Amino acid sequence: MIASIAVSSLALAQPVGQELAAPPGVGCPDSPAPILVERSLAKELGLAPGERVRLSGAAGSGCEAIVEGVFEPPADPAVLARERPRVWLHLPDLGRISGRIDEVDRFSIAMRAESDTADLRGRLESLMPGAQVFPSWIVAEQSSTTFNVVSRFHRAIALITLTAGGVFLACIMTLKIQERRTHVSALRLAGISRGSLARWVMLESALISGLGGLMGLGIGAIASWLINAFYQRAYDTTLYFSLVTRDTLAVSLVLAVILGFAAGAVATWRLLQADPLVEVGR
Amino acid sequence: MILQTAVRELRAHPGRTAFAVAGVAVASAMLLDMLMLAGGLQSSFGSLLSGAGFELRVSPSGTLPLDTDATLQDAVALAQDIRSEPGVAAVGSVLALNVQVEVASSAGADSVGSMVFALGVEPQVQGLYRIVDGSDLKGAAEILVDVRSPARIGDTLRLSSVRTFGSAAAASAEFVVVGTAEFVYASASEVPVALPIQALRELSSRPAEASFLMLSAEPDTDPNALARRLQALIPSVEIVSIREIVRRAEMRLSYFRQLAFILGSVSLVVTALLVGTIMAVSINDRYGIIAALRAIGVSRRSIIVTLLVETLALVTLAGAIGLVLGSVTARYLESILSDFPGLPAAIRFFVLEPRQLWLAIAALVTVGVAAALIPAYRASTLPIATTLHREEP
Repeated sequence: MIASIAVSSLALAQPVGQELAAPPGVGCPDSPAPILVERSLAKELGLAPGERVRLSGAAGSGCEAIVEGVFEPPADPAVLARERPRVWLHLPDLGRISGRIDEVDRFSIAMRAESDTADLRGRLESLMPGAQVFPSWIVAEQSSTTFNVVSRFHRAIALITLTAGGVFLACIMTLKIQERRTHVSALRLAGISRGSLARWVMLESALISGLGGLMGLGIGAIASWLINAFYQRAYDTTLYFSLVTRDTLAVSLVLAVILGFAAGAVATWRLLQADPLVEVGR
Repeated sequence: MILQTAVRELRAHPGRTAFAVAGVAVASAMLLDMLMLAGGLQSSFGSLLSGAGFELRVSPSGTLPLDTDATLQDAVALAQDIRSEPGVAAVGSVLALNVQVEVASSAGADSVGSMVFALGVEPQVQGLYRIVDGSDLKGAAEILVDVRSPARIGDTLRLSSVRTFGSAAAASAEFVVVGTAEFVYASASEVPVALPIQALRELSSRPAEASFLMLSAEPDTDPNALARRLQALIPSVEIVSIREIVRRAEMRLSYFRQLAFILGSVSLVVTALLVGTIMAVSINDRYGIIAALRAIGVSRRSIIVTLLVETLALVTLAGAIGLVLGSVTARYLESILSDFPGLPAAIRFFVLEPRQLWLAIAALVTVGVAAALIPAYRASTLPIATTLHREEP
């Protein structure tokens, strides 16, 4: 099977598929270029190892390539919204097909353990005028700007959600305790101290919010599973979009109990301020 | 009278009402924000692109304008070919590159030796900037700077091409600043410059290249049909309409729309739960009174209407507060997302349009009233004698 595909390659960040006049030295490799095809593309085109495709680039009408294998791209959020699938091929083959012989976008350099990054960076930049040398942490920082913004956005949304949840909890606890006002007033008239009643009602608040929190964790875990299932399918990736960690569980539960307890405390205080005789209708 | 009764009932329990109003207000603020987020990007991006006055873009195959460093190789001939096609009113070529800039005269020492994003344009056919001060480009050695640039009109800037590894020494040329401009697509961190495309081509040794072409259609021509026709004629490049660019940009940022949908739905569920619970408790408290009203001849319908009006009053008050709160939080969230890399500074994620406002109000009222319907109906169908005996109003 011969399929024409317009994809971007990992060897050189140059989209291939555009047909251009071939500069000197440019042409198809002598034998079909071996390529690795991303799983999603292989699935879309029905490609399997051994099949042949045509890669068109600067070499005019396109060059034949042979699928050597299918690869699963690493789960990288930075390439999630990428529309063009990728193929891997040998650098000299891509150079000839794309018309960019002896060119690269970047080198990756592995350092010896004893080397100093800043020193090596300075020496390499002076050796190679026109080239820029970056430690990997700078590259990582630059490429993660988007995720930093998204992360800040998530935190802000979480804060708003927490406020909404807190108010909701306070409201429910107030109503719940107000429902018991006749009962509590009767107990006060029977001689039970305010302190005992306060402890009792607040313990009940903490229990209710704790139970609600546990149920919330269950709902959250199911929602997280659904989110992962939906987005992994939508983006055809193995990336996890929502992670339920032990810390997340602990923080959620503690916050639910604290908020419920605080709301219960406010409602209890208001309840105990009221005249028990009025509350029981006398 | 029904409204007065409803308001009196809400005022009788100020603490409970205050909490309920606060809860529904926060939920409605969240709902409004999410509705603004869901449509904001599309609306903002669409009007930004349309404002430029060019309905189509031509870019290297498989890319959108400035998506990658790839360029249209024989752009001069390509532009001429497209210009001769029926239905095409104007074609403008744009070459966009990073160049080194230094101030060769006057003030602006801040920018010495810095890297800027340079746009090579055809001044008479461009939709990338609006002149703020001075004049547009006329001569080959003239340059426009961003309004935020430290350079001033009359300054001379020396531009140098970025020297690539293994290349000969970088070429450079001097340009006189003739005006300041607002660049439509500049991101918050970018301070671009514009110069004649031929000058940038010479400076960068790219004699016939362009990053993309901007096309405007004749008034009686459908831009989408023109895009399809041109694409069929020239399959080696990407020809897309503004609608298509907006659709693709939306796909890339679809996460925000989906998030908006999920959180908007959660807000409505919270509102329903809150209103439903509050009304259920509030009505439970009044079983005796409701039974007494039924006993003296008040109809079921009147009971239900009174309780629903009470809900409506609660939701309306909370919704009004929520809309104000939502506008404030939208501004805060917008300030966070404005740091999103690569997006034009003019893009807004949260856009308040009348449609969104009405949708938020309608959703809130519908959900609130629907949530109160069950307890209200239950109250209206209480067995009168048994309830009166049990409740002793």
